[in-house]
Amino acid sequence: MKKITLLLPIFLSFLFSSCEEVIDLELEESEPRLVIEASILWFKGDPGTDQTIRLSETSPFYDDELNPVETAVVKITSETGDIFDFTYTEDGTYRNNNFDAKLNASYELTIEYEGQSYKATEKLIPVTNLEFVEQTESGGFSGEDIEIKAYYKDPAETEDYYLFKFFEEDVNLEIYEDEFTNGNQIFGYFSNEDIEVNDIIEIEMQGISKRYYEYLFILRSQVGSNDGGPFETMPATVKGNIVNQTNPSDFPFGYFRLSEVDSTTYIVE
Amino acid sequence: MNKKLKIRFLALLLIFLSGSDIISQELYVLNGVVTDAASNETLIGVNILVPEAGTGVVTNDYGYYSLKLPKGDYKIEISYLGYQSLQQNITLDTNKKLDFQLAEASESLEEIVITSDIEGLNIRKPEMSVNKLSITTIQKLPVVFGEVDVVKSLLLLPGVSNAGEGSSGFNVRGGAVDQNLILLDEATIYNSSHLFGLFSVFNPDAIKDLKLYKGGIPAKYGGRVSSVLDIYQRDGNSKNFKMQGGIGAVSSRLLAEGPIVKDKGSFLVGARSSYAHLFLKLTDNENSAYFYDLNTKLSYNLDDRNKLLLSGYFGRDVFNISQNFENTYGNAVLNLRWNHIFSDNIFTNLSVIYSDYYYGLNLNFVGFNWDSGITNLNIKYDFNHYINDALQLKYGIQNTYYEFNPGEIEPIDSESGINYFKLTNKYAFENAVYLSAEHRISENFSAEYGVRLSNFFRLGQDEINTYENNDPVFYDPERDIYREADILETVESSRNDILESYSNLEPRIALSYALNDNQSVKASYNRMAQYLHLISNTSSPTPLDVWAPSGEFIKPQILDQYAVGYFRNFKENRYSLEVESFYKNIDNRLDYIDGANLIANNAVERIVLSGEARAYGLELLLRKNKGRLTGWAGYTLSRSEQRTQGRTAQEPGINAGDWYRTNFDKTHDLSITGSYDLNKKWQLNANFIYQTGLATTFPNAQYEYEGITVPVYGERNGDRLPAYHRLDLSATYTPGIDKDKKFESFWNFGIYNVYNRQNAYSISFRENTDTGQNEAVRLSLFGIIPSVTYNFKF
Repeated sequence: MKKITLLLPIFLSFLFSSCEEVIDLELEESEPRLVIEASILWFKGDPGTDQTIRLSETSPFYDDELNPVETAVVKITSETGDIFDFTYTEDGTYRNNNFDAKLNASYELTIEYEGQSYKATEKLIPVTNLEFVEQTESGGFSGEDIEIKAYYKDPAETEDYYLFKFFEEDVNLEIYEDEFTNGNQIFGYFSNEDIEVNDIIEIEMQGISKRYYEYLFILRSQVGSNDGGPFETMPATVKGNIVNQTNPSDFPFGYFRLSEVDSTTYIVE
Repeated sequence: MNKKLKIRFLALLLIFLSGSDIISQELYVLNGVVTDAASNETLIGVNILVPEAGTGVVTNDYGYYSLKLPKGDYKIEISYLGYQSLQQNITLDTNKKLDFQLAEASESLEEIVITSDIEGLNIRKPEMSVNKLSITTIQKLPVVFGEVDVVKSLLLLPGVSNAGEGSSGFNVRGGAVDQNLILLDEATIYNSSHLFGLFSVFNPDAIKDLKLYKGGIPAKYGGRVSSVLDIYQRDGNSKNFKMQGGIGAVSSRLLAEGPIVKDKGSFLVGARSSYAHLFLKLTDNENSAYFYDLNTKLSYNLDDRNKLLLSGYFGRDVFNISQNFENTYGNAVLNLRWNHIFSDNIFTNLSVIYSDYYYGLNLNFVGFNWDSGITNLNIKYDFNHYINDALQLKYGIQNTYYEFNPGEIEPIDSESGINYFKLTNKYAFENAVYLSAEHRISENFSAEYGVRLSNFFRLGQDEINTYENNDPVFYDPERDIYREADILETVESSRNDILESYSNLEPRIALSYALNDNQSVKASYNRMAQYLHLISNTSSPTPLDVWAPSGEFIKPQILDQYAVGYFRNFKENRYSLEVESFYKNIDNRLDYIDGANLIANNAVERIVLSGEARAYGLELLLRKNKGRLTGWAGYTLSRSEQRTQGRTAQEPGINAGDWYRTNFDKTHDLSITGSYDLNKKWQLNANFIYQTGLATTFPNAQYEYEGITVPVYGERNGDRLPAYHRLDLSATYTPGIDKDKKFESFWNFGIYNVYNRQNAYSISFRENTDTGQNEAVRLSLFGIIPSVTYNFKF
């Protein structure tokens, strides 16, 4: 429903003689901060042994290069005490290929980097199955955009949170909770004016925790759609679940989470 | 308010009251109503002077006046802006009822028209921080799309601003939009904006008078902490049937009025509708956006002492996006009033008011309807008691019952994947008693002082959440963030239960000391309580924001405002100067935890923390009141901030507990507006506006996460948009005036933003799709916009 607020400025600009222009604007630069993208994904039907974690540092806003972190020590410990070491490969990516994924099991992430120690604990969240994908053509502002609906049946007995990823040219993240849809057949929704016939769209449905849902909710509110107009919310600090044990106030960005994933590929008709 | 202060205040009141009633001469009452000779429309704020007695009075909101004078012969002078003044000799040897009728000033009689003025200054009155604008002045101002707009005109006055073009509502002295009490014929209007703030909900043709109180707010008003915008609708012409209307670029208006019973009763019906959606049609899509509103009024004089007034307002905005999304919102108001005069010097008004704000959504593509709103029923009884020529008392009682519907979700059909869901309705009862005195203590010293005792009762509701430690917001020390606390259990309570009650004593005082006939200094203090909160964390409220009552977890906002001022008329009242400085502090201003989800939230107490707000500033207003060139220059230097500290030493609060600028903070705000009478047919008008850019937050770093680029923001509202400025011009053309005045018309030609300044509505950031690099993008809403409006009256 938050989409509605996003529509307001679009509407205003549409109604009137508005004008968009790229301008030169000098921005301040903040100190680099560690970013941890530790998303352990277990695709249905896959052993789930190959996992990656990406580390980087924040960069000046106008830079187009990312700052990969190469010298960190990264590992995950399972609740039974198994240790999975992640070794550096390239572009800030750390890899492990004997990970043992168990639904609802608890895992701890530890990272050592530049004398600071980081920790986070999470469970592997299961997800229901994707049932089918439907395509309609009444979306968007024109009412003619292609819409993709990926249906699933929400389990009635649990409180569930979902992350949908629609990969077209860019990745599109949609998050859902089941407060108003508990137990129903419902869909993840994606619409974009650039979707064309024969486009291949990869769809992933990931089970996520309530906390991670809240995190993504804040994260999404800071990204892209935020145009700073009068109907926008205040910028927030997007704090994840990873704590700097050495110096808590120097917190890292990013999140440690583990999700079961169902995926499918859809070819636009 | 403590007891000691209460006693001291009452003692002070008694001294004033007793001290002023020592006149032992034989006194008679002269009272009556002042009306327009052509329409019998009552006139508000007419000056009635008795030079021999060195006294005078101003007509009240219903055109009524009352004076107590010793037996004798007097020459009474009645004057009002835009009307021919009147002088009448009377012999007062008994209580007398005397109504006056004023004729509108015609062009040829211009020389003898008294133009000093409802908009000029009353040096001796304690009233300060008050702005009045006549509808005639408002109609001349150049405005965007040529649409005459009450709220946009107020923005040209010092101390009044908004959160940028195309934002809704207005901000007074650094206060938030929801802190303005907006009254239309005494009924509360919850949303003053059409089309998300591009226009206001008030049809200028239907409005008689308006007053904006920025400070020194009389005890009669309460329930909002920043300002009071008091708007009166016209009663309608009880002599002749008349019509007027206008055709503009965005909307058209038509208004009809006439007698029901000649000279006794009248009706007025005004309608306005936009056709901006036609523009959208041109762009070849199925979207539409339009608004309409309807103003109605019936008034009937039962006899000399009794009058009934029935007024109504209904307005709606409708947005439609390709049949997938429909949004409707608006206010509805119905108000029955009974004016009754007791014993010649007590004027009373009893109002029964129903007021309603509705917001509805229809989301076809998701498959549900959404309804929400606020409804209230208000009964108030107000007394104007004219004790003697030095003292006038106003007292009364006000009761309001509220019902809040924060939202109801209904699936569109059985195939919809959405379940029915109802957010818990909330109920509250607010009452107040007030007593205030307008007191001329000596020739040069007058005061208006009073007190309002307000009470608020939060009534029982179907679902009440309980939380651990009674704390609905949980602080997670490990991650150093706030989040919604878990609900322990949900209990039910009866509508008759009182869940929480608040009581506030609100003293108000305004003093005026006249240094001489042309100069005065004034000072005021007021404390006010606001029990309703608009739950909104966007820079400018959106129509779908819901109102929430105070209760166990959300405390009422309490304001203390101090203002001092220097006022001067010079060059024979040709010019006037007002200089005011204010400081205000508001306790219990809500702020929102990071990631707060306001939409369809059944327990808003879980996402808010209580903070404080403060604002201070200096306002200058120089007016030229007479001559071919009239107008004013207003300048405001101000700061508006808020902060929310942690509830304990460990908690960080919001924005680390530091003060930050509000979204509508503008350091400098300058408006110059002028109107020049070229000849009888042409009048030229201009506005120039310069404002510091709005406070905003820019990113200072970025990172990539899950394939998306995430900006990192700096200090909250620590940056600013570029300065805002523009020049508007307009010309009003009045073709040859019909001798019989049967048909009048005028044209208004306007150019908004003459030099096509690309003012920033916002600066946003995005990734350039070709280079992959981030870039800053400025969005400007209105470039140069010409407009033509045609208005007529017959």
